[in-house]
Amino acid sequence: MKRRVIAAGCIALTLGLTATACGGDDGGDGDSGGKADGKGKTLTVWIMEGTNPDPRPFFKEVGAAFEKKTGAKIKVEYQQWATAQKKFTTAIEGGEDQVPDVAEVGTTWVPQFAETDALVDVTDDVKKSGLANDLVEGLKDAGTLDGKQYGMPWYAGVRSIVYRKDIFEKHKLKPPTTWKELQATAKTLKEKEPDLIPFPVAGGAEMFATPFIWGAGGDLATQDGDKWKSAINSPQSIKGIEFYTGLATKDKVSPAKVNTWTEKEVGDAWNKSQIAMAIGGNWTPKAITDANPKLKGKLGAVPIPGQNGGMSKSFLGGSYLSAFNTDKKELAWELVKLMTTGEFAAKWAKQTNYFPGQNSELKKIEAQKDPLVEPFAKQMIEAGATVPKTKAYGEIQASKVVTGMVQSIITGKSSVKDAANKAAKDMDEIFAKDK
Amino acid sequence: MLVSDGSKDGSSGSSSLRSHPSDDGERARRRKKLTTLTRPWLLLAPALIVLIGLLLWPLIQVGKLSLQDYVVKFGGGKGTYTGFDNYTDLLTGDLLWKTVLPNTVFFAFACVGLTVALGTAVALLLNRLGPTWKLICSVSILAAWAMPAVTGTYVWIWLFSPEDGMVSQLADSMGLIDAETTNWFTERLPFYGIATINVVHHGFPFVAITVLAGLLTIPKELYEAGEIDGANAWQRFWKITVPTIKPVFLVVTILSTIWDFKVFTQIFLMPGGGGENPDVYNLGVYSYIEAFAKNDYGAGAAAAVLLTLLLLAITVVYIRTLFRQGEEDL
Repeated sequence: MKRRVIAAGCIALTLGLTATACGGDDGGDGDSGGKADGKGKTLTVWIMEGTNPDPRPFFKEVGAAFEKKTGAKIKVEYQQWATAQKKFTTAIEGGEDQVPDVAEVGTTWVPQFAETDALVDVTDDVKKSGLANDLVEGLKDAGTLDGKQYGMPWYAGVRSIVYRKDIFEKHKLKPPTTWKELQATAKTLKEKEPDLIPFPVAGGAEMFATPFIWGAGGDLATQDGDKWKSAINSPQSIKGIEFYTGLATKDKVSPAKVNTWTEKEVGDAWNKSQIAMAIGGNWTPKAITDANPKLKGKLGAVPIPGQNGGMSKSFLGGSYLSAFNTDKKELAWELVKLMTTGEFAAKWAKQTNYFPGQNSELKKIEAQKDPLVEPFAKQMIEAGATVPKTKAYGEIQASKVVTGMVQSIITGKSSVKDAANKAAKDMDEIFAKDK
Repeated sequence: MLVSDGSKDGSSGSSSLRSHPSDDGERARRRKKLTTLTRPWLLLAPALIVLIGLLLWPLIQVGKLSLQDYVVKFGGGKGTYTGFDNYTDLLTGDLLWKTVLPNTVFFAFACVGLTVALGTAVALLLNRLGPTWKLICSVSILAAWAMPAVTGTYVWIWLFSPEDGMVSQLADSMGLIDAETTNWFTERLPFYGIATINVVHHGFPFVAITVLAGLLTIPKELYEAGEIDGANAWQRFWKITVPTIKPVFLVVTILSTIWDFKVFTQIFLMPGGGGENPDVYNLGVYSYIEAFAKNDYGAGAAAAVLLTLLLLAITVVYIRTLFRQGEEDL
């Protein structure tokens, strides 16, 4: 057995793979691994591509700092958002040899991965390190199941409303503070700027619709004990859906082409200066001005208004850094800590235009009073919401239940009530199957 | 002695062996029998091993999976056998009979019909062209064939994209539609219309090239004789061309049928085709959504098995027709 391990290690060596393969196995056999002694070991790290325009220099610095601290190296492998979930699932199925040691995990994936026992429960480590009280509550909650926290919040984002400041000023419009104002503003825009889309009701964008469900006092689903039940057809939810889809069907502030749009197409339309006002993430303004410099200085942002003032809740999404159940758990936790706290957490947030997962770091950003950042920070701290924390909801999202509902309403195929009832039925079927 | 005998056998065939009936001949005959038995298998072995590894084994796994309720776990998932539950769920659902199967079947037949018709027409055209135009036309249809399905699909999506796409604007300027209120992708019929154009555009070059190859084998004399008998072009096509290269038509039809039944990419990538709009599910997309969106691997596998059986049934019918055709020719 041992000989085979050595042989395998040396074959790997001759194949020109990591020179540390032999050394790594020795360390594992002796189990001598002290906490900070990572000499000769290498951690595999999976990071999502696209959050940071150029993450290479950042990880070079992290790698150097980590090696200085523990002696271990890191090997970063970049993954695509579109395919990563499947890749993770396959790796988890393959077990310890195939999963990374540390990975960026989208908050909505945490329940699914945790259920397979692939992720390390770090609740005690977080407490021991004195980090527990500084984490943004909504984010901490998103990765905590049955009291166990599966990783550290790394960065987060939230959607609010992005609008064309120049157009609003031209027509003396004010950013909306209630739903009525939102509706009236959009209608005025339709009249005065017929070439622009006043407010896209994008049929393929789930998180464009959810603020109105939450804002009307409704919910996607509610938990009772360990059972989930859909609430998307509750009277409040229906009221929210009615308002949101009504913007397209009654007020016609969103043309038919938008019916099949996802957030990507909305972004493309921003880049072509075709939009006056839309729901957008804290990462949106920079993405737009990068692609379309003409709009520099012409964008504004405002939290999504509440029905009669205040704010409607908006999805608080983000990424965790989680350690997987491999034989390098202790080292992995060291890396997670290094990246999600202090200097590196702040640097990552700055480079990516996202928000860090710690209150102390978030406060620093809020204090800068940037008009394109502050509204989002406000939305995140005061009106962030998460989707149902269960593996089933990931499946509901992947089967496009909410977007399917919105699309069938705005294309006129079914009434709000019928569509909501069907969505509720679809959700309950998936909830029932998973319990 | 024996060795040289053996090698001679191999090269000179059985008639020379029978002319030397001796003890050696008896052994040689047995060896020969063994060789005739094993040789085809030996020759087939590489292909069979590849087929078993890449086709049969996954097929068995999918069959097994379709009888299970499968849960992914760290280091290897757990399947519980649930009998034919996945199949009963699948076959008793409204979605399958009212949406998924009709979409799959009608779409496939429309695509096959149009692909073969267009491909044949293009082949006839190519057959009549001079060398320069033949080259130009062949290259341009091969370009359509060589285009990856993903790229081709996006081009068609752009052309038909509501309000901004070229086709939408043309139709709007001719007064056929109101571009601001029309979205082709949300209704079943226009959605599949666009998908059909896309699939036919991608599939007809293969038919054209294959049929052209068949056309080149038809002796010119047949047409001359036909012309003398007073047959017009239409009659010559149906009475001479079609019967002579019927096997070619059968092959391209079988292949097109198989390809068009399992179309996935072209549907999945279209707006609304990835699950938002259940009206446009076909079997491939449905199986994918069940398995990889809902993580219900068993149900997805059952849908995949159903698709396989459907294809198998169609192929068997075609192959039997093909063989019957071959016997008639003898």
